[in-house]
Amino acid sequence: MLLERRALQTELPALAGLGNVDLCELLASLGFPVDGVETKQGETILEVDITANRGDTLSQRGMARDLAAKLKAPLASLPHTQLTEGPALFPVRLEADACPIYATAILDLGANAGTPTEVVSFLASMGSNAKQLPAVDASNELLHRYGHPTHAFDADTLKGTLLVRWGREGETLRTLDGVDRKLTSNDLVIADEAGAIALAGVMGGDATKVTSDTKRVLLESAWFDPRVVRRMAHRHGLHSDASYRFGRGADPAMAKIARDLLAARLQAWAGATLKGAWTAGQIPEARPAVTLRLGTLGRIAGAPIDLAEAAAHLVQLGCSVKIQGEELCAVPPTWRHDLALEEDLAEEVLRLRGFDCIDSVLPPLEGAPLPLAPNYLQARNLAYRLAHVGFHQTVTLGFISPDADAAFAGSDNPAEGRTLGNPLGQEYSVMRASLLTSLRATAELNLRQGAKEVKLFEIGPIYRSTGNGPSEVMVLALVWTGTLGGEDYLTRARAVQAADLLGVARDLGAQGTPQVRELGEGMLALEIPLADLPAHEERIIPKFTPFSRFPALERDLSLLVDLAQPYAVLASAMTEAVGKAAGECFKGLGCVDVFRHKSLPAGRQAWLLRLRFQAGDRTLTSDEVDGWVTAALEAARTLGAELRG
Amino acid sequence: MDLTLLPPDITAAHSGFELAVAACADLDALMRLKGEFTGRDGSHAARMMDLLKTAPKEQKRELGAAINGLKNAWEESIKKRQSELEASKKRGTSLASSWDPDLPPPMPAHGARHPLNRLMDRLVDVFRPLGYHVEEGPETETEAHNFDGLNIPEDHPARGSADTFYFAAHEGKLLRTHTSPVQVRVLKRLAPDIEKLGGIRFLAPGRVYRKDEIDPTHSPMFHQVEGMLVGHNIGMHHLKGTLAYAMKALFGPAADVRFRPSYFPFVEPGCEVDVRCPLCGGSGCRVCKGSGWVEILGAGLVHPNVLRFAGIDPTIWSGFAFGMGVERTAMMVSQTPDLRLFFENDQRFLKAMGGLD
Ligand SMILES: [Zn+2]
Repeated sequence: MLLERRALQTELPALAGLGNVDLCELLASLGFPVDGVETKQGETILEVDITANRGDTLSQRGMARDLAAKLKAPLASLPHTQLTEGPALFPVRLEADACPIYATAILDLGANAGTPTEVVSFLASMGSNAKQLPAVDASNELLHRYGHPTHAFDADTLKGTLLVRWGREGETLRTLDGVDRKLTSNDLVIADEAGAIALAGVMGGDATKVTSDTKRVLLESAWFDPRVVRRMAHRHGLHSDASYRFGRGADPAMAKIARDLLAARLQAWAGATLKGAWTAGQIPEARPAVTLRLGTLGRIAGAPIDLAEAAAHLVQLGCSVKIQGEELCAVPPTWRHDLALEEDLAEEVLRLRGFDCIDSVLPPLEGAPLPLAPNYLQARNLAYRLAHVGFHQTVTLGFISPDADAAFAGSDNPAEGRTLGNPLGQEYSVMRASLLTSLRATAELNLRQGAKEVKLFEIGPIYRSTGNGPSEVMVLALVWTGTLGGEDYLTRARAVQAADLLGVARDLGAQGTPQVRELGEGMLALEIPLADLPAHEERIIPKFTPFSRFPALERDLSLLVDLAQPYAVLASAMTEAVGKAAGECFKGLGCVDVFRHKSLPAGRQAWLLRLRFQAGDRTLTSDEVDGWVTAALEAARTLGAELRG
Repeated sequence: MDLTLLPPDITAAHSGFELAVAACADLDALMRLKGEFTGRDGSHAARMMDLLKTAPKEQKRELGAAINGLKNAWEESIKKRQSELEASKKRGTSLASSWDPDLPPPMPAHGARHPLNRLMDRLVDVFRPLGYHVEEGPETETEAHNFDGLNIPEDHPARGSADTFYFAAHEGKLLRTHTSPVQVRVLKRLAPDIEKLGGIRFLAPGRVYRKDEIDPTHSPMFHQVEGMLVGHNIGMHHLKGTLAYAMKALFGPAADVRFRPSYFPFVEPGCEVDVRCPLCGGSGCRVCKGSGWVEILGAGLVHPNVLRFAGIDPTIWSGFAFGMGVERTAMMVSQTPDLRLFFENDQRFLKAMGGLD
C-alpha cells in the first residue's frame, strides 16, 4: 500500500517533526515494514507492507490512526458535514445479510469545474490517474484517503427499486472493465428492476457507469461482508481497490460518512445539487466484547503488565474498555475486525508498548528430549560418508517433465496419479518416480562445464501413485561418470566402472547387487531406497564378538573358467564345499584378479581366488588347509573350472 | 678412452652421468637410469653396439675398446650407487633422503554436502541442546494439515491454485506450501502423551513448494526449517530468548534479534524476526540495505485454535513456533547472488559452499 507523506501528516499533524527514516522505523515497529521510499513530483511516497488482518490501515487516515495510538497524538478531525437524510427517492431493499447498511444520495450535476489539482496530485501519488469525472475522481480519492470504497451510478440509467441481493444462476453483468461476468447465487449484486448493475464491493456495471454526459448521479456507500467480497473477487479474478478493502474489512461506520464526503466533493467540484439522501439498513451491532485476563497478558508478555496500562493502550486504539478485578473487557472499534481473542488484545498491548520491551529468556526444559529420528540420522550420516568419498550432494526440483519421468517410472507407477493440476509448465508437471533423470541432467551439466569426473548423490523422496494420492519413498541415488584418478603421480587415470559404484553401494551396506544403470556413455548410476540400507544403529557399541589371535592362512587358486561363468555360482559352490570341510575355520573367499588375454585358451578367462582360513583355538597346519583347498578345487571342477598351469 | 669416435649425444649423456647417478634418490630412479644407459633395448649402450656392427673394419677395435670402457664405467658407478641406496634403505633413511616434501602429495578426493543441507543440519545441532528433536512430514499434504489445522481461513488466497500446487487426480491433495503442517501432525500424534512428555519441542527441516516462477530470488521448491515448543506458561520472552540463543550459535556472539509485529494465521501474537546483520555487524551494508538488520524468520505464539485442532487444551498448554527460509538465509550469509545456483549443483559451487561437516 502507498502512503503519501503529506497526506499522512494531514491526518496526523504530530508526524511533522519526524524524519523519513524515523517514520519508517516507527511503521516497522508497529508491524508495517516499509519496502521502499521514493519521491514523485516532490511528494515522498512510502510503499508499506500490510498484513491481511489489518484492513483498517489501508488508507492514509487508517494508517495515521494506528500511528496516532502509538504516539498518543490526536488525529485531525474529519472535514465532514452530516447530510440531512430524507425520504428515499429510489426505494432500496437489502435482501442479503452480507450488506447490512447501504447509504445513498442523489445529486444533479452542474458545470464540471474539474478535479482540484491537489487531488489530481494525490491520486498520482497513489499511482492513479485522475479521470476528470468528478464522481469517479472523488470516489477514488476517498478510498485512498479514508479507506472506504464508494460508487456512483448514472441515476438516469436506473430502473425502479434498487436491490442488494444474491445473484441468479444464468444472470450476466458487464462490469466496468468491459468483461461479461456470469453470475451465481454466491455473488452479491446491486440490481435494479432490469437486473444486476454492480458486483457488490468489487466493481460497478458498464451500463450504469458515470460518463461525461451524466446529468444525475446516485451515490452508493455501503458495507459488505469481507468473506463474500473475497470469494467474489477470487471467483471472477477481479481484484479491485474496492474489493481489496472490503475484502479485508472496511469500517461500517464510514458508510454514511463517506457518502456525505462524496456528496460534498460533487457540490464543490461540479456544482452539484443535492436532491435527497437516505440510508437502508444500519451499522451492524458492535463486535462482541473480548476479555483479557491479567494472567494471560503477563504470560504472553513475559512480565506482569498493569491492566490499567493495557487499558490505556487499547483505548488509544479505539476500544471501549472496562476493568473488573483481574480482567479487562474491551469492545473493539468498528474498524477493527481482527480483535476476537484475548491473545489479540495482548498483542495490541505489546505492539503499542513496543516488541523491544519484551525480555529474552530461555524456556525451562520441562521434559526429557526425544531422541533424534533414526531416519534423519541415517540420511545425514549417508551424506557425510558419501561426501567423504568424493560425492557431491545435489538438490534438484521434485517435479519434472512427463517425458523425463517416463524414462525411469515403472509400469506399475502411472504418472497420472503424480501429475499436478496447475503446474508452472509441462516441464515441471510430474512428481518424479526416480531421482535419476534429474541426476543425469545435473551430471551432464557438470561435464559440459568441463568437469573430468562427476560424482553426485541426492537423498530425497520419489513418488508412487496410489489410490489415495502420491506416496513418498526416500531414496539415495548415485551417479558417477568421467575419468577417475590421474591427477597425481601415484594413480593412473581410468574410466569409471560399474564395479566402482557397486563397491560404494556395498560399503554403505546395500545388500545383494543393486542394479547399476548406464544413463549415458560411461555414466553409471544407481538408486536405492533408504529402507534397503542399514538403519541408523541406536547402540553406541555393538555386542562383543570374539576374534581369533591365531594366525590366518591364505591360499590362492588360479582357475581357468568359461567367460560366461557367473562368479556368484562358482563362489557359492566353493564356499559350500569348503564350509562343509573346514567349518568355522573357513573365513571367506574373494576374487583378487581377473585376467583375460588372447594367450589363454579360447573362451576362457583366469580368476585368482583367495581363500582365507583361521581357527579360534590353534594355529592351523598346512596339511589340513591343503585338504580344504582341495575340496574347494573339486567343487570348482564340477562347474568346468580347471587349475591354471 | 677415445670418445671422439662416439656420437655427440652419447658423449653429452656421459658427461652428465656421474651427476645423474648421485641424484638418484631411490632404487627406482637408479633402475630407470640404468635402463637408459645400459638396458637391452634402446639404451645408450645398445645404440653403441649397433654402431659397432656397422663401423668400418679398421675402426672396430678402437671403437670396441672405447665402448667397453664406457659401459664398464657406467655399470660400476650404478652398482656402487645401488649398494649405497640399499644400505640406506636398510637403515630406514631412504624417505628422508629421497622424498621431496615440496612435491604436492596426492590428496584424497573428497566431495561435499549440499550447503542447504549443511545449514539445516547445523540448525538441528544448534537446537539439540535445548531438547529439540527432528520431525519430518510428507511433501504431499492434505488441505486439513496444510491449511485447516493452521487456522488458515477457507477463503485465504494462499489456498488458491495461483499459489499452491494441487494434484490433478486427487481432490484436496497438494504440495505443502510450508513446513508448518508438520506442526499439525506432531501435535496430533503427541497430544495424548503431552503430559507425560512434559511438552513438545521439535525442529522440522524440509522441502516446500509454492507457485513462484524460477528467478534469481525465487524457486517453486525451497526449504524451510520449522521449530515449535509447547509447554506451560510460554510467552514471547521465551521465543525471543530461544531465537537469540540460536542466532548467536549460528552467526556468532554479536548476533542479536529484533521482533516486529506481523501476522500469520497460526500464531498470535505473530512477529517477524530480524537478526543483526551478520555481514556488517549492524553498521549497515548492501545486504541489510543500510538498516543493520536482516529479516530471517517468521514466528509467534501458537494460536489457541491450532492447539485445539490437535486436541491440546490451550488453557493449560501454550507454545511458540517459528519458520526460517533456508535459501534466503544461506544466500544472505554467503552472499550468493543467485538462488538458482543452489539447484544447479555445479560441483565447483558445491565444493566451495558445501564442504564436509
Ligand atoms: Zn549489513
